[in-house]
Amino acid sequence: MNDNANPRPSSETSQPSPPPPPAPQTPPPPKNPGMVTLSIDGKEVLAKPGTPIIAAAQQAGIEIPHYCYHPRLSLSANCRMCMVEASNAPKLVPACQVPVAEGQTVKTNTPKVKEQQRAVLEFLLLNHPIDCPICDQSGECKLQDYYFRYNLKPSRLWGPKVQKNKRKTLGPTVLIDQERCILCTRCVRFMAEVAKEPQLGIFGRGSHERVDVFPGAKLDSNYSGNVVELCPVGALLNRDFRFKARAWFLSAAPSVCTACSRGCNVFADHMRQECFRFRPRENEAINAAWMCDAGRKSYRWIGENRSLTTISQGKPVPVDEALNTAASLLQKAQGSIGMLVSPAASNEDLMAALAFARDVLKVNTVFSTGRPHGAADHLLMLADKNPNRKALEYVAKALSIEIKPFELFTPSAFQAVWVLGGEMPESDIVMTARLKTVPTIAQAQHLSNWAIESQVFLPVASHLETECSMTQHEGIIQRCRQAFLPKGDSAPHWLWVVRLADLLGAKMGWCTARDVFSAIAPRIPEFASFDWDGQAPSIQERPGLPLPAAADGRPPAYRQFACSSAQGFSP
Amino acid sequence: MSHSENMSPSESENKKSAYDFWERLYVPELVKGLAITTGHFLRNLWSEHDKNPEVLDRKSRMVTVEYPEQCVPYPLGYRGIHRLVPREDGKPRCVACYMCATACPSQCIYIEAGEYPYDDEEAASRVIEKYPAVFVIDELRCIVCGLCVEACPKDAIRMDHAEPMGSIARQHTLPALERKPFIYAKERLLAGAPAVHESDPWQHRKASEEPVGIHKEAHTRIGESH
Repeated sequence: MNDNANPRPSSETSQPSPPPPPAPQTPPPPKNPGMVTLSIDGKEVLAKPGTPIIAAAQQAGIEIPHYCYHPRLSLSANCRMCMVEASNAPKLVPACQVPVAEGQTVKTNTPKVKEQQRAVLEFLLLNHPIDCPICDQSGECKLQDYYFRYNLKPSRLWGPKVQKNKRKTLGPTVLIDQERCILCTRCVRFMAEVAKEPQLGIFGRGSHERVDVFPGAKLDSNYSGNVVELCPVGALLNRDFRFKARAWFLSAAPSVCTACSRGCNVFADHMRQECFRFRPRENEAINAAWMCDAGRKSYRWIGENRSLTTISQGKPVPVDEALNTAASLLQKAQGSIGMLVSPAASNEDLMAALAFARDVLKVNTVFSTGRPHGAADHLLMLADKNPNRKALEYVAKALSIEIKPFELFTPSAFQAVWVLGGEMPESDIVMTARLKTVPTIAQAQHLSNWAIESQVFLPVASHLETECSMTQHEGIIQRCRQAFLPKGDSAPHWLWVVRLADLLGAKMGWCTARDVFSAIAPRIPEFASFDWDGQAPSIQERPGLPLPAAADGRPPAYRQFACSSAQGFSP
Repeated sequence: MSHSENMSPSESENKKSAYDFWERLYVPELVKGLAITTGHFLRNLWSEHDKNPEVLDRKSRMVTVEYPEQCVPYPLGYRGIHRLVPREDGKPRCVACYMCATACPSQCIYIEAGEYPYDDEEAASRVIEKYPAVFVIDELRCIVCGLCVEACPKDAIRMDHAEPMGSIARQHTLPALERKPFIYAKERLLAGAPAVHESDPWQHRKASEEPVGIHKEAHTRIGESH
C-alpha cells in the first residue's frame, strides 16, 4: 500500500511523488440495518445474520440441491451437493454451512456449479445399487430426482460395486439397506440431537463406511421411525410400510394423529380406501417435524377390526331397522338415558351428540369413557391416549352438561344406555357383563363383544374418512381432512346423531361436519373464533414432490377404483 | 326442385354416357360378378392355406383358415397373450416393482408384493427378496398395447413367441363365455419357458447379506469380481 513496502524502480524516483494512497477500504454500511442483504442468482435477498446461504435461497424461491442439510438438525456439510459460487470465496462453498455475508453475490447455476453437482451425483451413485424397482423410496427419492435434474449421465464405473448388507433389521421399526446409503448422517444426527438416544453411528472407512447400530444393540427408540423420513434415499426403511405400496400411487391427506392427546400433524397416505402410513407434517407449535412410532403405527388399528354394517344383538340388520330400534329405545327411555361419551371422538361428533342429548333428550350428566392412560416419553408422546379430551370438557361446560368419570357409571340406574365411541377404559369382558343388563345403543368404530351384543350397533367412520376437527391437550384446534369416503355403512358419530334426531322429530338438518360446527360453535366460547374453513390444510399439494394430490395427476384416491374386477377374481 | 332440372342439356348427355350399352344391359355384368364369386368359392373348396409366414412367398393365394381347427402362424412382432417369465427355479423373475401396473393405460394389472424369508432355499430369492405374492391380469381390460413389456426392468413380463405352437404364450387370449377365464392369475401366467441373463443379481452374489471372506478392496481391481 505504501512506497516503502513497494519499492519502485530508480528511474521513477526522480518523478514527483505519487498521489496519496487511497484510504483503507471500510465495508459499506449494511443496506438494511440488522439484516444481511445479498444477491442470489441476481435476486436481492434479505436474511438474518447467520442464516446459511441455502436457507436464504429457499426464502427467495431458489432451490439448491442438498442431501445432508436439514433445517432442524446440526450442520454436517458432508454431501457436497449444495456447493455454490460465492463472490467472497475463491472456491465453491457449501451453501448449507456458509452463512450469508453483506453484499455477497451467490450464483447457483453457473457451469462450475453444475459440473460440481454432476460430479457429486456421479460419486454418490458410484456404489449405489440401482435397485429402484424394489426400493420403497423410489418415487420420493432425492437421488432419483437429482439424478434426473442434475446428472442424467451413465455410470463410468467398470468394476463391481461394493457389497454391503441389503436387509439388516436395526430394530422393531427400521430396516437398513446399507448399499443404498449415501452417508449423509441425517439419521445419526437425529438420534443424537432430537431423539437424544444416540443409537446409530457410522462405522468403517472410505467406501466401506456404513450406518449401523453397535454390535448387539438395537434401534428401539420410540422416534426411530423419523429416520426413515429423514433418509433422502431408500437406505432406512419402515418395516411396517415396506413393500406395501409404491409411493406414486398414494395420495396424501393432511390429518392429525389420534394415538395420544398431543395431536401431532400427519399426512395420511392412502389408496383404495385404505391408509398405508402416517408421515409427520410440519407444525412448529406441536410436533415440529417429528412423530413417535406409536403414533406412526396407529393407522393400523384405525383400519382393523371394523364392522361396516349395522348390527343388532349379533346379527347384521339393515340401517333403517337399526335406526328405528335405536330411536324407539331413546324415546322410551327419555329422562333416564345413561350416556357414555368417548374423548376420542372429534369436535363435531361431540358437539352434535351433546347438543342433541341436552336439547332433545334432556340429558344433564354424561360419563366420560376413553382409552386408559399409557406410557409417556421425553419428546412427544403423552400419557393421555385420547386425542380430544379437551373438546369434551369445552363442549360439556358450554352446554352445561356435567361430566362424570366412568367409575361412577351404574347401568342399572338407567332404562337405556347410549354409548358414543367404543374406546373403553375397561376390558371387553367387564364391559359385556356391565352392559348386559340394560338395552344399549353402541356407536363404535371397532368391533368388540359388548358392542356386538348390544341392542343396536351403529358402525362409525374413522377420522380419516370424514372432515373433522380435533382439540389437542393444550387447547389448539386442528382440522383433519377427509382422506377417503366412509367404508360400507359406517358414518361419523354426528351423522348417526342427525339421523336419530330426524326419527325423534327433532330436525337438525345438518348435512356436513361444517354445518354442525357452524351451528354449535357460537355456543362454545373456545370454538367461536375458530375458522373452520380457513384453518383447513390444503389437500392439493403433496409436499416433497411437485405433484398434485394423486401422483398421476388424477383426483385424490382415484386409484381405489383401479383393477377392482381383477382384485375380485384373484385367487 | 330436383337435380336434373338444373342441368344444362350438354351435362345431362354426359351423365347418360357414364355407362356403355353392355353395362346398361345389366345381365352380362351380373354374370361377371358371379364368376368372381364362383372362382373364389372353387379355389377355397380345393386349395389349401399356405402357412409360410413370408406372405409374398406363399404359393397358395387362399387366405381363409378353418379357425379354430387351423391357426395362422403369427408374425414376429405380434403381441400375444401375457406371460410372466419364470427364473430357472420356477419362481417369477418379477420383483413386484409395479412398473407395468403404472404404465398400463387400462389398469388391468393388479399386484400385491411379498417378501421371501431370509432363509429361503433358493439363492436368487435371498438376493432379491421382493416378489409378487399376487399378480393378476384382466385380459378383458387389456388393450394389447405392450407398454407393460416395455416398462419391465427385469424382463419379467412378455407377450412373446418363446413357446412352441399350442402353448398359451403363443396364442391370443382364448375365447370364453364367462368373464372369469379372462382373469389370469400368477400360476397361469408363469407357465412358460424360463429366462436367465448374465446381469441377473443372483449371478453375482449369494444373498442380501454382506459377503464375508472377500478382500475389502477386491471390487477396486478391474475385471475381478467378488
